[in-house]
Amino acid sequence: MTTGLVTPGDVIGKATEFKAGKGAYVNDATIYASLTGTCRIVSPLPESIDQRAIVEVTGHKAHGPIPETGSVVIARVTKVMTKMAAVDILCVGSKAVRENFAGVIRQQDVRATEIDKVDMHQSFHAGDIVRAMVLSLGDARAYYLSTAKNELGVVSAESAAGETMVPISWTEMQCPLSGQTEQRKVAKVGN
Amino acid sequence: MAAKPGAATPTYSPKIVGRSRLPIFKDSDLDWSRPDGRGFHQCRPALLQTGAVSSASGSAYAEFGNTKVIVSVFGPRESKKAMVYSDVGRLNCNVSYTNFASPTLGQGTDHKEYSSMLHKALEGVIMMETFPKTTVDVFALVLESGGSDLSVLISCASLALADAGIMMYDLITAVSVSCIGKSLMIDPVTEEEGCEDGSFMMTCMPSRYEITQLTITGEWTTPNINEAMQLCLDASSKLGEIMRDCLKQSASASDE
Repeated sequence: MTTGLVTPGDVIGKATEFKAGKGAYVNDATIYASLTGTCRIVSPLPESIDQRAIVEVTGHKAHGPIPETGSVVIARVTKVMTKMAAVDILCVGSKAVRENFAGVIRQQDVRATEIDKVDMHQSFHAGDIVRAMVLSLGDARAYYLSTAKNELGVVSAESAAGETMVPISWTEMQCPLSGQTEQRKVAKVGN
Repeated sequence: MAAKPGAATPTYSPKIVGRSRLPIFKDSDLDWSRPDGRGFHQCRPALLQTGAVSSASGSAYAEFGNTKVIVSVFGPRESKKAMVYSDVGRLNCNVSYTNFASPTLGQGTDHKEYSSMLHKALEGVIMMETFPKTTVDVFALVLESGGSDLSVLISCASLALADAGIMMYDLITAVSVSCIGKSLMIDPVTEEEGCEDGSFMMTCMPSRYEITQLTITGEWTTPNINEAMQLCLDASSKLGEIMRDCLKQSASASDE
């Protein structure tokens, strides 16, 4: 059992005494590190059946985040079509990605109600910043994203006059300069 | 990102544990010396350094004698559109030589197979399922070709992958052995590679004691293969320790 800095392949414990957590793996009753970083022991939850402590490695320089199913991402809309909107994923959670991943928001994933009446051009515009959830890894081209929750949707948009608009309802945003309102699928603010 | 200092380490030398056979050197070999003055089973001094390329996710620079190699790792990043969906990650490797790497080197026509050999060595050690649908690109550049280029490349690439935070089962280390006459010479230089009867390269995980790649060319007898394998395993274990120290040093340096 070692703590401190470990590198991939270092033995960090026995599988009979610990469970392998993040950054570690088990091979033949031995736990090895799979990342370079700091090794530490986490106490098990009191209600869990397996009372072995968890040994995990926190990568000192983890690679850029990858979108996973269920993670909340920040993306920029690049193209709006009749049935879908193409976006570039900029952040996964609170971490910026090193290189953009392509995503797509389909018409049926824009909101949870009145799915058949969704008009893509009244939900997103090119250049908008949206918060979305990864539905699945999608296909070879893009991740499938969804904004079908109150907290998901457009978080920042510019008006025709070039000013950042203020959300005034869940479907409208207003330009502080010209007072003109535009239709968007607005994210609920407050968290 | 500034380059982090790596460990400038002295020469390491493998030993054949439990060896009971007679020494392989005959009287006629006693006056033989290698071009750089090393013993037959002595490796060249190794310099390893991570963080050499600031724009890459991970990078490493390695010098083994006159062989100078730099490896950059990019990703995990989006795969190209043309590629089919894959539940596991992809690994792309590209090995190239600079124009000034060798006085006799042609325009990159001699080492086309190095990219696939590097790929085979690395794919056994990377946990591909940890980055589904994405690609890790490894670019290796030989700045100076001084012998045993491929084994230096492979060791340096595993250091760069660990620096990039890619999950791996172990570091991998690669060592070459040349057979000249009756003698086995570890970590050969260019002159020795030019007149060798056979060459042997092994890539293994020092902590797990597993081999990910084995390449034998030329004429070898079975006892020589066994002896070369033992030499490589011992040298890989020592080289693995050097690589771990280098990674821990750069990790603690960046944490300060």
